[in-house]
Amino acid sequence: MTSIRSWWLATAIPIICAAAIATGTISAHAAARQDAQAAKPEEQSPGKQLFEERCSTCHGLDAGGAMGPNIQGIPFRLGADPVKAIIKNGMGGGGGMPAFAGQLDDAQIQQIVDYLLTLQRKDSAPITGDPAKGKEVYDAGGCASCHMIAGQGGDAGPELTTVGSLRGAGYLRSAVLYPGTDLPQEHVFVESGGQLDYLFIHLVTKDGKAYDGTRVVEDSFRIVIKDAKGNFLSFRKADLRELQKETGKSVMPSVKGKLSDEQVNDLVAYLASLKEAK
Amino acid sequence: MRIARYALLSLLLAGVAASALATFAQDVPYERILHSQSEPQNWLTYGGSYNSQQFSLLKQINKQNVSQLKVAWIYQTIHPATNIEASPIVVDGVMYIAEPPSTVVALDVRTGLRLWTYSPKLPEHVVAIGLQTTSRGVAVLDHTVYIGTVDSHLIALDDKTGAVRWNVHVADNAMGYAMTGPPLALNGKVIVGVAGSEAAVRGFLDAYDAKTGKRLWRLWSTPRPGDPGADSWGPGAAESAGGTTWNNGSYDPELNLVYWGTGNPAPDFNDDERPGDNLYTCSLLAIDPDTGKLKWYFQFSPHENHDWDSDEPPVLFNAKIDGKERKLVGFANRNGFYYVLDRTDGKFITGRPFVKETWAKGLDANGRPILAPDQQPTLGAGTLVYPSITGGVDWTSPSYSPDTGLFYVSAHETGAYYIKGTGEIEPGPPKGIVGGGGIRALVGEQSYGAIRALDATTGKLRWQFKLLAPAWVPVLSTAGGLVFSGSEEGNFFALDADTGKPLWQFYMGHAARSNPTSYEVDGKQYIFESAGNIFIAFSLP
Repeated sequence: MTSIRSWWLATAIPIICAAAIATGTISAHAAARQDAQAAKPEEQSPGKQLFEERCSTCHGLDAGGAMGPNIQGIPFRLGADPVKAIIKNGMGGGGGMPAFAGQLDDAQIQQIVDYLLTLQRKDSAPITGDPAKGKEVYDAGGCASCHMIAGQGGDAGPELTTVGSLRGAGYLRSAVLYPGTDLPQEHVFVESGGQLDYLFIHLVTKDGKAYDGTRVVEDSFRIVIKDAKGNFLSFRKADLRELQKETGKSVMPSVKGKLSDEQVNDLVAYLASLKEAK
Repeated sequence: MRIARYALLSLLLAGVAASALATFAQDVPYERILHSQSEPQNWLTYGGSYNSQQFSLLKQINKQNVSQLKVAWIYQTIHPATNIEASPIVVDGVMYIAEPPSTVVALDVRTGLRLWTYSPKLPEHVVAIGLQTTSRGVAVLDHTVYIGTVDSHLIALDDKTGAVRWNVHVADNAMGYAMTGPPLALNGKVIVGVAGSEAAVRGFLDAYDAKTGKRLWRLWSTPRPGDPGADSWGPGAAESAGGTTWNNGSYDPELNLVYWGTGNPAPDFNDDERPGDNLYTCSLLAIDPDTGKLKWYFQFSPHENHDWDSDEPPVLFNAKIDGKERKLVGFANRNGFYYVLDRTDGKFITGRPFVKETWAKGLDANGRPILAPDQQPTLGAGTLVYPSITGGVDWTSPSYSPDTGLFYVSAHETGAYYIKGTGEIEPGPPKGIVGGGGIRALVGEQSYGAIRALDATTGKLRWQFKLLAPAWVPVLSTAGGLVFSGSEEGNFFALDADTGKPLWQFYMGHAARSNPTSYEVDGKQYIFESAGNIFIAFSLP
């Protein structure tokens, strides 16, 4: 009953977001890419040009991953200085990510980081609610029994301390109304993963016991899920009679029909206001 | 006679070693590598033998007992590095490995204890464009160990001390040339290739005198105006680039031919300046090692623009085709097709996809792809093409078992959006990747991997063992009826070579990149693999 994610590399910083959806046919990822592409002024930026010349063959033209990992939003997760250090020095003792010291100067590295910041997963949905009232909704709704903000709350669900930096208002709205429908991907090397985070799993062991939960980690031989109480449950696939992966489902209950439209707006405004760890 | 004497000698030495717990690295003349099948306790060349079959005749570890396989010892690299790709060479109790980027280490095969190390002095900034700063291993010949370095030197080391016998500068690293592939040691010569197609270098294959380091010949893999094949580049021949030779080759001593694959033309995704087939990129070359002359070539992907190098080691095997015994070469190409060629003349025999592919409607009678429409990189959002940039399989060695007649390959089932960008090659040192575009790969649940067993003569699928994700892990098959390979998540496992049924599995914590290999010492068989920062030897309790 343990969770070990060591093969999800250092870049696989836990994505701090509840399972979420986009309401239309365009996923949040596609929306983010469209935003990035639509940002005309950025297209002429020196950072974008440098990124395409020096980084895109490994990380993809949209930084969404190619031979190397998806690094959209990485400066938000790691901080700008650590990202600059990675560009300068490489990763893994001369491993997959080469060192660019000597090839790029500090100003150029800063330009690339500035460009990466524009690729943050985002959407343009307006925030119409009141964050203060949203906090009341959050507290009254029992969200904290599963989610942690700034060290306070439960740990069955994802931590939300900086979720406002990682997700736009449209995405957050979808997440609380239709949990489990559009799931984020792990930031890992493309060939090893990019698996969906928070995927709902229903499994039945060969002796007939059924379990539901969220996928924590899976490999070719095993799977670890987290049930609604936050317990890690580890299984060998060879011991399973059934293993179903179901998008659109989640251990998180939807707020649809439980909160008014105004309360949803306030809740979204509160979540969107959570930008940095205090 | 000489061979028998060596086999006897190594048996005697193994007996002595068992009691004295000593290591004995012996001379490795060419004849020993030539007849490596007669001493399966050793692993004398990259793919186990000159035919690159990645097959071990050892069978102490077999279907009945492999479930008991345990870790015997672990060796940790001197410097932190998660990109080990090296396969070991094992000679009479001593193992020679390469640590990233270009360090050579000799180990006691019984314990993993370090006997000596050698690290070349590298420039402060090694130019490594489109490649890992690592080494896939060394070659051994006579009393010498050979390493190609990431800054493109070929260095000969004394096998007992690591002392430098000679060091030659093969190519200019500042221009993007790097060496990551294992050298191929033949009779009196060492053959090496180069990497750097993404820096738009011009590929070549070199042969050096094993004793002195004197260059014996150079075979360019792209022509210049006036050379044969130059018309396959149109006006681009003057700047033809790519076709790099960054992995290992194979050798048929009876035909006296070296077989070596070549990489993509440059730039990868933008073909505006290179109309034509772009010989001899994405090809298999058959070369006379005495002269360096090209005897024949077979181009898998004419005018390639999806970065589908053909640098996997070619697998040589003999089998009956239509009742007649033939000398064959099998090749699971990055473009998604498995090919069988006659290795005497390069004639196409058969080919079929071993993964989903959408770029070709099939192969014609000569093995040339019949292109599907609208499968080239495009501006803007790009074109979805299968396979992805990492191909049906990339460089990781497949395996052929003479016992089963099956060709085992770690297959990638995934696609990518291929995007065309600007494609100009600027003169002088490269400023970055000369890709001429980029890709956006399908990931996660949209892709998967599989160990696939193909009928080696037809390419027809016999069985598969599915993996969660496409894996860059080479394959080993053994006379014990086993197939060893790994998953991208870090599992190392053994499958039944006849059925694909999993028989043993061990989680190493990081994906393997080295060829799984096998050796025997003191009467005990070992299976050897790397993972992340470590090399692991497995044996029965």
